[in-house]
Amino acid sequence: MSIEVSHLRKTFGAYTALDDVSLSVKPGQLTALLGPSGSGKTTLLRIIAGLEFADAGSGAVRLDGEDVSALGPGQRGIGFVFQHYALFRHLTVFENIAFGLTVRRKRERPSRAEIAERVNRLLGLVQLDGLGQRLPTQLSGGQRQRVALARALAIEPKVLLLDEPFGALDAKVRKELRRWLRQFHEEVNLTTLFVTHDQEEALEIADEVVVMNNARIEQVGPPQAVYDHPASPFVIEFLGNVNQLTAGTAKPSARAAADAAKQAVEGKVTSDGDLLYVRPHDVDIRREPKSTHAIPVKVLHVFAAGNTGRVALRRLDTGEAFDAELSRVRLAELGLHQGDSAWVVFRHVRLFPKGQFYETDVAED
Amino acid sequence: MAAPATRIRSVPAPTPTRPALSDPRWLRGLLLTLTLGFIALFLLLPLAVVFGEAFAAGVGAYFASFADPDAIAAIKLTFTAAAIAVPLNVVFGVATAWAVTKFEFRGKSLLITFIDLPFAISPVIAGLIYVLMFGLHGWIGPWLDAHDIQIIFAVPGIVLATIFVTVPFVARELIPLMQAQGTDEELAALTLGASGWQIFRRVTLPNIRWGLLYGVILCNARAMGEFGAVSVVSGHIRGMTNTMPLHVEILYNEYNLQAAFAVASLLTLLALLSLFLKSLVEWRHARSSRAH
Repeated sequence: MSIEVSHLRKTFGAYTALDDVSLSVKPGQLTALLGPSGSGKTTLLRIIAGLEFADAGSGAVRLDGEDVSALGPGQRGIGFVFQHYALFRHLTVFENIAFGLTVRRKRERPSRAEIAERVNRLLGLVQLDGLGQRLPTQLSGGQRQRVALARALAIEPKVLLLDEPFGALDAKVRKELRRWLRQFHEEVNLTTLFVTHDQEEALEIADEVVVMNNARIEQVGPPQAVYDHPASPFVIEFLGNVNQLTAGTAKPSARAAADAAKQAVEGKVTSDGDLLYVRPHDVDIRREPKSTHAIPVKVLHVFAAGNTGRVALRRLDTGEAFDAELSRVRLAELGLHQGDSAWVVFRHVRLFPKGQFYETDVAED
Repeated sequence: MAAPATRIRSVPAPTPTRPALSDPRWLRGLLLTLTLGFIALFLLLPLAVVFGEAFAAGVGAYFASFADPDAIAAIKLTFTAAAIAVPLNVVFGVATAWAVTKFEFRGKSLLITFIDLPFAISPVIAGLIYVLMFGLHGWIGPWLDAHDIQIIFAVPGIVLATIFVTVPFVARELIPLMQAQGTDEELAALTLGASGWQIFRRVTLPNIRWGLLYGVILCNARAMGEFGAVSVVSGHIRGMTNTMPLHVEILYNEYNLQAAFAVASLLTLLALLSLFLKSLVEWRHARSSRAH
């Protein structure tokens, strides 16, 4: 089932949480609402769920084409999973999952046996067989999250909405659970929208990523497209590490390529104040200035612990500090030490001069 | 009177290995003697006196004190007032706590302040307020008189005064509890299709039941023991508008010490029962919140 929101506005007093937001989520997809805190992503999710209402007369929420803006959360056919699980603390796992069925009106309520059967099937689906009689407090964080998921699924929602589903878990469980959620999504194939502030999480499991900032949607697209072709400086900076450098006086290399890109679009060359964005893994370190693009640098620090090597560098032409990321093998080959002189070539740069935005690959010569 | 003793018991003993807490032996002995001496002198001794005096003329005279029709009427009235005030307080307390913790509205902090008013105000003033409102020379007194409705110097006045002094109990107990629990569970129930009443019955009420019971016990203890406010509106008509505390005072002023202490001992027993129930609820609550 599709989710469509159009021209939503939400203000809390003088604060604007959503500013004319429109979004269309395709049926059957796993979509991430990604953004920093205060970007409006949770507000958007809660408005779709009906837990919050958009400002009067400011657009609509449609589920499967039907306008549900005036319906309460219980009537929308949604399943909602809260960040802190919100399990009923006085009920067992079984009773928690059965809750949505037992509160139904008598003629819509399944029989006891049917409820038991459905709950047990869901317990199996979320891999919690045999834990039905436990209280929520007797479960780990990851288990509680899965109970919350099973409880939301028990009412057979047409759309699943998750608010920071892994936010309250520690790093290891988080990683496991998000892979599990991806697999789980393949199995149930339910239109799913989840909120996260963790770009790694969004890029890893979502079919589509919606990047939000400042009450607006910045960019929508599949993870790779959003990562490789960010639509704004905010998106570049939010998705992964990036070095922000001025174009500077560096005549060769990036500057030349950026010049060409800008020339093509605007008919002007870059000025010294224009900003360049370079991902650390797009910085190629060399001991010899073999390319005319090479920029001389000094090695400030070498971080060799971890699965990739990281080198802190300073450009000798502009004095700016930036980071490079490379494999441990390559790092060993280079044999870099603090204080060494070296050269770098930017493999891929993005240029952002005042409101316009270009990107370009740097051609090897 | 047993309250301080239970408090002390419920505090975990300091571990002797912590150097900061290893005060000299004499200091510990001194503090302990002071505390126990104080409790014995000011709490336990008077308690013993109440029962001692009550039984001074023998068991027969003790029970005869309760055969007096005025005493029976006073006991009945006390229970009636409590039986009306406590349920009303539960309804008011739950409604207020719900409104304050689950909704946002203007004047919320003012409302919370007003709930505490009966604690801040002297009970005598509370009684006088009702006399000024409903008394013969009060605001609506003449109208009531014209319609032959008696509030002051009658049972309704006593019930009103009791309600006034007990207003804060349940609400004060529930507001911090419900604030700590937040609204997530209620919202979850809402997304699962539960109605407002189902949410209250199946989610909110089970979560607040121990706090609610605790508030009810304290409210009941106060309702039965209230003297000041009730004294002002009662008119002290024997067998009609005397509650147990007022009856004790009358008997005492008539130098009928034995009977006064006999009724007082019954009030004391009720208080001790309240404290026992309160400790029991605290213990159960601690256990059930440990399980969570």
